[in-house]
Parts: sequence; structure tokens; C-alpha cells
Amino acid sequence: MTIGAGRRHLMLGAAVVVSLLAVVETTVALVAPFRAPTDADWAAAAAAVRARFRPGDLIVAAPAWADPILRVQLGDLIPPEIAARMDDDRFARVWEVSQRGARAPAAAGGTTTVDERFGRLRVRLIERPAELVSYDFVAHWADARVSRRNAAGVMVDCARSGERFLCPPPGNSSLQRQLVEVDQKLRQALLTEPIAGAAVVIEFPAVPLGRVLAIATGLHDTWMRKAARGTVEARLTVGDQTTELPVTSDDTGWTRTRIDTGARAGQTVPVTLELTSAAPSDRFFAFAAEARR
Amino acid sequence: MMRQRPRRADWLVTALLALGTVVWLLAVEGRQGIGRDEAQYMRAGERYWGWFSELGDNLAHGHPGRSFTPSDIDRYWSDNAPDHPVVMKALYGLSWRAFHSCTCMGATHGYHPVPVPARHTTLPLFSRDSTAFRFPAILFAALLVGLVYRFARGWLSRAPSAVAAVLTLAQPHFFFHAQIACFDAPIVTMAFAVGFGYWKSLRDPRWGIATGALFGVALGVKHNAWLVPFFLVAHYLWMRRGDLRARRLTPIPLVFVSMLVLGPLIFFAHWPWLWVAPAARTRAYVLRHLEHEHYNFEYLGYNFNQPPTTTAMKWLRATAPFVETGFTVPVTTLALAAIGAGVLARRRRGSPVDPDSEQKEAPTAARPSWLRPGADVDRAPGAFVLFQTLGPMAVLAVPSTPIFGGVKHFLAAMPYLALMAGIGLGAIGRALRAALPEARARWRPIAPLALAFLVCLPALVETRRSHPDGLGHYNLLAGGFAGGASLGMNRQFWGYSVLPMLPDLDRRVPENRRLYWHDTLSDAISMYKRDGRLSLEVGDTGFGEEGIKRSEIGILFYEKHWAKYEAWFWQYYGTTRPIGVRAREGVPMVTLYERGAR
Repeated sequence: MTIGAGRRHLMLGAAVVVSLLAVVETTVALVAPFRAPTDADWAAAAAAVRARFRPGDLIVAAPAWADPILRVQLGDLIPPEIAARMDDDRFARVWEVSQRGARAPAAAGGTTTVDERFGRLRVRLIERPAELVSYDFVAHWADARVSRRNAAGVMVDCARSGERFLCPPPGNSSLQRQLVEVDQKLRQALLTEPIAGAAVVIEFPAVPLGRVLAIATGLHDTWMRKAARGTVEARLTVGDQTTELPVTSDDTGWTRTRIDTGARAGQTVPVTLELTSAAPSDRFFAFAAEARR
Repeated sequence: MMRQRPRRADWLVTALLALGTVVWLLAVEGRQGIGRDEAQYMRAGERYWGWFSELGDNLAHGHPGRSFTPSDIDRYWSDNAPDHPVVMKALYGLSWRAFHSCTCMGATHGYHPVPVPARHTTLPLFSRDSTAFRFPAILFAALLVGLVYRFARGWLSRAPSAVAAVLTLAQPHFFFHAQIACFDAPIVTMAFAVGFGYWKSLRDPRWGIATGALFGVALGVKHNAWLVPFFLVAHYLWMRRGDLRARRLTPIPLVFVSMLVLGPLIFFAHWPWLWVAPAARTRAYVLRHLEHEHYNFEYLGYNFNQPPTTTAMKWLRATAPFVETGFTVPVTTLALAAIGAGVLARRRRGSPVDPDSEQKEAPTAARPSWLRPGADVDRAPGAFVLFQTLGPMAVLAVPSTPIFGGVKHFLAAMPYLALMAGIGLGAIGRALRAALPEARARWRPIAPLALAFLVCLPALVETRRSHPDGLGHYNLLAGGFAGGASLGMNRQFWGYSVLPMLPDLDRRVPENRRLYWHDTLSDAISMYKRDGRLSLEVGDTGFGEEGIKRSEIGILFYEKHWAKYEAWFWQYYGTTRPIGVRAREGVPMVTLYERGAR
């Protein structure tokens, strides 16, 4: 059987393309392992960062999946409260250790003041204006007053018990500072559980306001997010200004909300977070907040 | 479809391909860790062997009936039931019993799931117990490679047929599964064998009977076999679509009758656990898989552990089998398969797949027959390959289907994908041969062979590169290990990837007396000890938060959903600084923490 000239040419073209593809694919497969940073690259990059590191600096890996290797080298400079930070906005100096041309979102903006290569790694220091924290709600968790308000408006105080607040039955809600997992990322946050037919009220009586109050919310624990579908409604009152926060569900991840407090910057006011849920089973509500100048 | 008397050369090539598969897999399987599921199947296999051993004793003492009492059956066969039928597990147990190098009365005497009363007399082919367990899976992979070659030879010349066979094995994810004592690769072999038998049965009634038996064995390998008839029926209806047009009854072929009768019979006969309460236990087995939990699995940056609820996520989830195929199968293989699909689509009815083939697709009989239902029609090879390739993927594209196994859930498509690649190679090889001018006529036989070698090269190199972390490997399109990680694709599951760290863990005395193993199952730890790869004194502090609290050192497998466990390390060990990371091409796989490390 013979094939037409047109089809033969097409097939010949295919043969050339496939042959080239095979050569390229083989070559890349042989070369790619050598594109990875070596231990020596990491050690040199870490030494460079360590030499100019200042307390309060943020160190990040790009791509983010290299973070465990970064922490092998520089983990002592990345304590849990930094590794599990609420967001990146309060860091004026960001060290980015990158490979393969990746960029870390945390290092966006600002001016690059250091840019050095160590084998397959690149170290950049980005300096930028940052928001100063005037009040960290997570750090000040012990200042909180926690209570439960039922449908009739009756308030029941939740007492401090060791490293947490514990509400009396029914409900057994609590508030504690904890490393939580929201959207498969770790966050240093305050963790509580909404209660059926009642509101959990968390009040910080004296918060020195800055220009903005940043709050992030989410549901803790992959398995709990799998187990239930209920949502959590949250209302934040700053002084006399109340804001409905986005509804928190299994799919909303770590949601940040910024509330403009510029008009009251410098004032000290109570800040209250009120949580309700129509289906509170297996809902582990996590939040972190900061008043920022 | 096969030639009536296959040439001796074809048997030789078949044997060489199969032997090459066995040698390659045996040469590398020792670097492949033992996952949660594999460890359980090894344990169950050895326990099943215990039943055969006891049956032998009972026979010798003249009361074999004791082995068939419900309590005796359940004592051995309830292990890993109702999860999976027992063809492969029983083979793993028998292989272990036959081929391990027995040190059974030594220090690891207590590590066996059934008592070992005396030293075993064996043919000690393998130094490690785990290799002896894995050997049947490796033989099944070799059988598949041979079958693909034999099937392809019905349509293609030798070189592209051999290439199809090689490309079946030389896929990083299939290769990963092909060497371990699980069912995902063996069921591919059996699904392909059933498809092969079905194809032959269309013009040969002997294969109609044989395919029913093959289907029964397939049912005993893994529940994926339930799907095979659907894909075959789809092809059958397409092949006989003329009956529908002519408004005449389509003959119900012998092969389907045979599958319907022999399949359940063999399935029931092979699994003693079912004998105790056939209806209830069969129901439990079926429901176990129809209602299977959605384990966690990372795909394109999202952690899927339940059916998606939003439309956008359903669409994203539906792409999984196609994107995973596009990112895991070597790109040259995919390109050849695309050409092969084009060749099949353009084939004229009645024409052979390959013009040089001796196999004719044109009808050989005038009238339909239930014994030879493919004799009076074109057998539609394109539709056959299409349904067998896309069928398994389509099932996994349904958003409510669990995807926790990644590519392994639709591996049955891969031999057919490789077959299409062989068809594509055959087509461009012919064009290449025809393009050589008369003056270069002596190159005509060599050029297609050189091309065949060239197209196998990337698949072989990629597969070698991927080992022993085939699950984390992604192809040229995705960017290898690093590209897959950046795309948010799954890197591993079930704790197999710790094996290269064992020497280091073994050295860390005394901390390793209180070692947290995370996702490595105690059965796997036992097997590492039986294999002599881990000191018997190495401890295991148990699972979850309490296990980390009790431990001095611990490992953490990188999977998206395990993030919470890292928090416990930070909390209880007082540090975020791991003392080591096992990585592939810079991509973390396993992190090692030590309490108080600064």
C-alpha cells in the first residue's frame, strides 16, 4: 500500500518533530537534577543572610515549597510566630532565598538592596515601608474577656483556666492561643469554637488603635473542614463601629479584612469579636488581628 | 487477530521484553520504600500463607475440614477484608514462603504475623523478605509488557510493537507501582489481558470462554475490574452499530456470557473469606468501594478530600485524570500517542491498522454469530483503543469519584496509550523509510529502528530519573520534580519515601529509641527490620499528636494535609528548625526534626 505525498510529508514532519522532542526531553531529564541547589549553595546563602540579619526581618523561600530546607539553615531566625505569621505587611526587611527564577509574594514591592547569587540560589534583601504593630491581639490574648450570650441575651463569663479561657457547659467553648492550620498553612492564631444557639463574645477592652486594624479568619484543621459544612458569622466592633466580617466557611481559607481606623488613630478603645454559627459542630474558628500604625 | 502461528522470533522478543522487565524491576525495587498499603498486603499475604500451611498440616493429619470452618477461615482471611480480594496477596504470601532467605528463627522471629514454628525450607532467591513478597507483582508487570507486545504485533511490525511494550513500562508512575506488592499494576495486567482476550474472542470462540476465566481472575485482583465490561460493551455496541441502524437484534456474544458466568464464580471461589457469609460479605466488599472515603490528595494546589461542591471546583476536579496524564507520561510518548490516535481515526473501515500488517480488519464472514460477533464486521480497532484508554480516565473525571491514588486509579489506560504510541511510531517510521531515496536504500530498515530507539530514550531516562520517587515525578511539560511541586501536584503518599533516610535514622542512637514515624505504618517498620535495614531497637512512638509528644526525633512527610503535624513538632520540640530534609532535585519529601534542636 502506498501513502499520498501530502500525508507522507506530514508524517515526515512528525518524525522530525518527535525526534527533536525526544532529544530535548532526554537532555532535560539528564541535566535537570544538576539544576537543584546544592547543600553548599544553601550553606553559603544562609551565611550571607545571617551576617546581615536584623531582629524583625522576615526570611522566605521561593518557591515556597523550599521552606523546610530554608529552615534547616536558618530556622533559628524564623520562630513560630514569624513562620506562622498572619501576613507579611508588617515586615520592613524581607530576605528572599530563591531558585529557578521564582519570586516570593512576601517579597513583592520595595527596593532590592542586596542581590547576590550562591550557586543555584539567589539572595535578595527587599526593604520597604511597613506597618508598625501597635497591638497584637494574639500576643495579648490574656487581656481578653470571653463570654457567651444566649438567645435571651443572658451573658455567661468564660473563666481563665491555665493557658486558655473555658466557657461553662453547655457548649464548652474555649479560647486559646495556638498554631492552627487553615488552608493547609500554619498560622499563629486564637482558636475558639462557636456554640449552638448562642454567641461567643471576645472583648479586648483597651486596644490602642493605629491607622488600620487587620484581622484574618479561617477554619482550623483539614479533617474538621472535611467533617462538616457549617459556616461561622463574625462581627467586629471597634469602639462604636461595627463591621460584619466575611462569612467563614470550609472554602474561604485565611481571609484578611482591613478596617480603616485612621480617624481614631491614637485612641484606645474596646474591640469586640462576636461569633455565631447555625451549625457549629466541628467548627474550629481561628483568627489573628493586629492594630497597625 | 494474532497470526495463527506466531513466529519464533516474536516469542523470543516477548521473552526478552518480559525478562528485561523482571531484571530492571528487581534491580531497582530495593530502593523503593514500603508504603502503608503495601505493608498491609505483605502482612495479609503472609497470614494467608498461614492458612495454606495449616491446611497442609490438616491434610497430613486426615482432617482437612478443620481448615474450612468459619473460625479457621476468619483467623487467616479476615486480614485486609473486606478491602481487597486475595489473588495477589495470596501470591505475595506464597512467593515469600517459597523464595525468602529464612532467618525466621533469629532475632526477627517475633515480627511475623503468624507463628513460625521452625526454620523454613525455601529456594532462597532473595535476600530481603520484601523482595520475595514483591516478586509476583514484578512478574505481572513482565506479563503485561509481553502481552502488549503480542497484542501490538497483531497490528504492527516488530519494532513499533516492541516500542509499545517498552513505553508501557517506561512511565515513571506506572514503574513506581509495577515493583511493589500492591494491586494497581497487576490489575492493569489483568484488565489488558481481558481486553486482549475479548478482542480475540470477536473472531475466535475459544477466547470467549478463556476471557470469562481471565475476568474472574481480574475480579480477584482488584475492584477496578468491575469497570472493564463497561468499556468492552461500549466498543462492542460501536462495532455492531450497523445492527442498530438495520433495526436488528445485536447478538449477545459468548465472551460476555462467559464473563457474566465465570467471572463471579471464580471471584467467589478464590476468596475464602466470602464463603462464610457469601451475600453479606460480598455486599460489604462492594459497599466498601462504592462508599470509599475520599483521602487527601493534592491536585493543582488544592487539597481534595471530599467531592467538590462548587461548579468551578467540579470542573477543575474533572480535569484531574487528563492533566495528570499530560504531566506524568513522558512527552515523547504522548506525542507518539497523539499521532497514533490520528492514524486510527483516519483508518478506512476494513483496512489494517498498519498497511504492512498481515492482520486484516475486513469482515471474514457474511453473517453475524454470537460465537464470532466480530467476523462479519470491521472490528473498529480505533474505537477499541479509544474506549479502553478514555474509559478509565472518564470514570476518574467524575467529580464525586475519589482521586487519592492519582495516576494509579486509571493506570489501566496506559498500555493502550503506549499501544497508540506504537501505532504512531509505525506510521512515521513508514514515512521515513519511504522518504529515503533509492541511493540510500540500505538505510531503509535501519532508519525506523534508530527512530524506535530514539523515542524510547526519553521514557527510559525519565523513568530512571524518577526512581525511587515516581509519585513525585512530573514530565517535561510540568518541569520535573520542581515543576510538579510548583504546580501544586501530589508528591507522594502513604509514607514510602522514608527508605533512603533509614541509615541515618538507624545511626541516631539513643534518640531513635523514641522515634515518631508519622505516616510510616508499623507493618512497614517491621518489614524494614525483617529486611535488616533497621535495627530492632529503633522505636515507634505511635500515631498523631501523642506520638510526637512522646518522641525524641520524628519525621514528617510532605503532603499538604499534614501541615497540622508540623505545628505539633514546632510546639512540642520547641523549634521550627529541622535537622534534615530528604529532597529530590531540591524538592522536600521528608523532614526530620529533633527535640530541642537549635
